[in-house]
Parts: sequence; structure tokens; C-alpha cells
Amino acid sequence: MSVYLLNVGVFICIYAILALTLNVLIGYAGVFTLAHAAFFGIGAYVAAFVAMNLSSSLVVVLVASVLTAGILSVIIALPALRVRDEYFVVVSLAIQILCVTVFSEWKGFTGGLGGIVNIPLPEIFGGTIATPMQFFLLALGCLAVITLIIGLMVRGSFGRSLMAVRDNESAALALGKNVALIKTLAAALSSGLAAVAGVVYAYYLSFINVQTFTLDTSVLVMAMVIIGGTGTMCGPILGAALLTMLPNALSYVSFLPQTEIGSIQQLLYGLAMILMMIFRPGGIVGAGRSKRNRN
Amino acid sequence: MSCGSRGVTAAAMTARIPAEASFEAAANVLRISGVSKRFGGIQAIQNITLDLRAGLITSLVGPNGAGKTTLFNTITGHIRPDNGTVLFEGHSLVGRPPWNIARMGIMRTFQDLRLFTHMSVEDNVLAAMEPRSWFWQSGGRQAKNTRRERAAAILNETGLGAKAGVLAGNLSYAEHKFLSLARIMATNARLWLLDEPAAGLDPPSYDLFQGLLRDQVRRGISVCIIEHNLDIITGISDRIAFLDQGRVIAEGAPDEILEDPKLIAIYFGGGPS
Repeated sequence: MSVYLLNVGVFICIYAILALTLNVLIGYAGVFTLAHAAFFGIGAYVAAFVAMNLSSSLVVVLVASVLTAGILSVIIALPALRVRDEYFVVVSLAIQILCVTVFSEWKGFTGGLGGIVNIPLPEIFGGTIATPMQFFLLALGCLAVITLIIGLMVRGSFGRSLMAVRDNESAALALGKNVALIKTLAAALSSGLAAVAGVVYAYYLSFINVQTFTLDTSVLVMAMVIIGGTGTMCGPILGAALLTMLPNALSYVSFLPQTEIGSIQQLLYGLAMILMMIFRPGGIVGAGRSKRNRN
Repeated sequence: MSCGSRGVTAAAMTARIPAEASFEAAANVLRISGVSKRFGGIQAIQNITLDLRAGLITSLVGPNGAGKTTLFNTITGHIRPDNGTVLFEGHSLVGRPPWNIARMGIMRTFQDLRLFTHMSVEDNVLAAMEPRSWFWQSGGRQAKNTRRERAAAILNETGLGAKAGVLAGNLSYAEHKFLSLARIMATNARLWLLDEPAAGLDPPSYDLFQGLLRDQVRRGISVCIIEHNLDIITGISDRIAFLDQGRVIAEGAPDEILEDPKLIAIYFGGGPS
């Protein structure tokens, strides 16, 4: 397989992890957040710090990143989840902006705007992950494990609790569901697992800076979830694959000016979102308009 | 929905407990003392004192705006009263969050039902059966299977057995009502607060509803119902509390309350409040 395709494959896996984990909040808990890229970034920065200063073991780095992102999300979620609906979206936007500011200004930890370079290769079972194929398998493995974790969670009692909260919070409360705890656990799970994408990203590029973890990324991942299908397992993966491949596909269209590919891509994202909202609000994999309306 | 009267005995449907002596003999489950709640300039409920007795169906009756649902919201912790006390089996409920009150043994339904419409009928019932909010429930696979079997039994009892896999949002109106009831049956609550549970039911569905309720009461459940239909109230209640303008203005056996012309005049809007 060509290096180019492997590169695309790694990025599809990274974005699929982000979309799947965001879908835990958007699709299953009904919590719309614009701060997902912040936890992607926390995962990446913690990975870089641990790999460069403490241990190059992939397992140690993964555990450190997941725990840090999960714990930070709990600390942030406890006060933030006291507000609901559009108010939480605003709070999450503030969290995203706050985190980007920290990523930019905490130069001792994040390298500031210049970022961190020369992140060492990950080590696992005494070997080093170095080739594009090895990185692709690492990313695919992480995606498979996260898909399994979220799939089991969704089909179990916690998934039912999440969906109950999403469908009707006051009814869930009246049935004995501790809504605040359920949302906090969902945020911890979502953010902790999103950090895995940050770990893979940091290792793969060997370089990170704040530009990757801005609001644009949060919006892009949200678009992947919505276009693919909220509240489904396949939808976010499909959405991530489509939107990751879109710029690559556009570069093969000969009549498009190559310098304007970025703008055309944004136009297509916007158009796709509008069309999906009108004709298929459940996303490509989710229920169509008629079924949603019946509900 | 043609519900029939599956799973319910005729004896259960007629097993009313009308005597005043039964009321006096029954243990006190919930004691509401001097509870008031004001929303801005509106006094929603005012100095309400009411006892709900074990194993009885108590109906809250009164015109719209009398404060019936506000009283339910106050009991279940959705609203914190300005003053007064609410004791459930001797434990104070004031200040507790709704989920905590539910776990103590008080469950409610809502006038607008509030089903989990994007979940299957079975999942609605299972969600009500699973009290823990953590990633897992206690008891492992065996407990999980037991819950599924119990959910199936409850759905059969409420006439929804064939609809277990259907999205709740796709059910008919009467089926919504029965799913709301099935959900509360799935809990281990000892006191049920039902907000207009029979409104809009056709006669066969109403018979099933009444039978199910009587069956549950015989098993030791205490029930408090808000209802507007006087035929339903007469057919189902052991006890009635009449509310008007946020106060309990009369309380007693159904015959006493529903034959009082002054109360009936208030109820139908013809008399002084």
C-alpha cells in the first residue's frame, strides 16, 4: 500500500476516533459541545510531554493522556454541566477558547505557538513503531478498541441511561437517574478516549502545535458526526472518512484551482451540512426526515 | 389500541377499599405538612397538609390551576417548597434531588408522559429498572437476564409485549399511556404519583388500566392520582383530596366529596372558590 494511502488511512482513523468519542456526547447524551478539539490537544500535549520527559512506552503515554484528559473533563464538566442546551454550547465554546489560549501561552509545556518538535517514536513490546504501515495499524487498532468500548457501553445499561437523559432529562431524573453523574461520566469517557487520537497524532507527525486543536477542528469533527449520523456507531466513522478524504479527492479534480481547494472544501462542508439538515437530519446512516418526524 | 384486559383478574378490578375504617387503619406513607410554593406573584400551593395512606388510591381533584401538579413536583423534588415538610416513611424529602427521592421509593408519571421516544419500548422499561448511574449494574449477566425477563412480563401485562422492539415514539396514544405505566411498574417504587394517567383512554384500555392499578395496589403499592374525569375518579379512588386555588379544601371518601354540591360547583366553575 502506498505511503500516501497509509497517510490518509491514519488520518481517517484519528478523525474517526474523535468523531466516535464526540458522538458519545452529541448522539447518545444529547450534549452539544464545541470543546472536543481541546481534549484532542490535551491528549497530544500530554503524550509529547511524557514521551519526551518520562517514558517512551506507548502504554504509559496512552494511560497518562487518557487519565489527564478524563480527569480534566470531569473538573470542567462538574460546573459546566449545570447549564443545559444552548447555554452549555456557549460554555463549551468558552472552554475551547480557554484551552487554545493555554496551549498558546504555556510555553514551558506546549512550546507556545511554535509547538513541540521531535517527539520520539512510540515503543511497545520492546519494539518501535516507525513505518507508515505500523502507524496505520496502531491507529486502526486504537479505533477498533474505542469502537468496541463505545459499542459495549451503548448497548449496556449506561447507554440506556445516556439515551434516557438525551430523550427526556426530567423523566430520567424522576426514574432515579443521577443525570449530573451520568453526564459527567459520559464527558470523562468521551474526552479520555478523544485523547487517544491526540496520542496517535502526536506520535505520527512527531510535531504538534496549537493550530491543530482550535475551534475549527471541533467544528470539523462535529460536522463528521452530523453528516455521518448522530447516535449511530457507523455514522461518525463514515463521516470522518468522507470529510477526511474530501480535500484529497478535490486535489484530483483538474479544473479546480489548487490554491483555492481550502475555500472550496469549506463551501462543500457548509453545503453538505445544510442539505443534511433539510433532507436527512439523522445523517447518512441515521434515520431520514420522515422517520424522525414521526418520533 | 385494543388492549382488552389481559393479565388482570376481574376481582382485582373491583377490589376497592371504600371504607373510612380502611383509611384510618392504613399506615401513613407520605405526610405533607404546611407546604407552600409561590411563583412570583402566584401562590401555586398554600399551606397544604395531606396524608397518603399505604395500599390506597388517593385522587387529587380540582379545577385547572388548583396546584395539583405543583404538589406532585414538590413531593418529587422537581420544585423546592417555600416552607413546610414532606415526610416519606418518616424521612424528609425537602431539599433532596429528584433522582434521590425516586430511589427512596417514590416514582411519578407526567401529564405529557415524557417517554424516551428514540428508545425501544423494551429499553424504556429496562432504563426504569436500572437504578445505578455508573457504567455497569450490579449482579452481572444473571441479573441482566432477570431484568429482561421481568421487562417482558411487564410489557405483556400492559399489552405491549408485541411492541417490545418498536421505538416508543412510534406507539399510539393509548400505548404511550401504558408504556408510561409499564415504566413505573418496572421500578421498585412503593408510592406512585400518576398525573392524568387515564386521560384519553378508550373504555377497553381504561378497564385494563384500572385492573392493572388495582392489581398493583393489592401488591402493596400506594397510589396518588391527578385526574379530571369524574367517572374515572369514582371508579378508582379510595380517597379524594379536593384542591382549589392551591389549598386542600376537602378530603374524604369519594361519595362524600363527589356528592357535595358546593365542591361540584367549584369543579365545574359554577360556584364560589
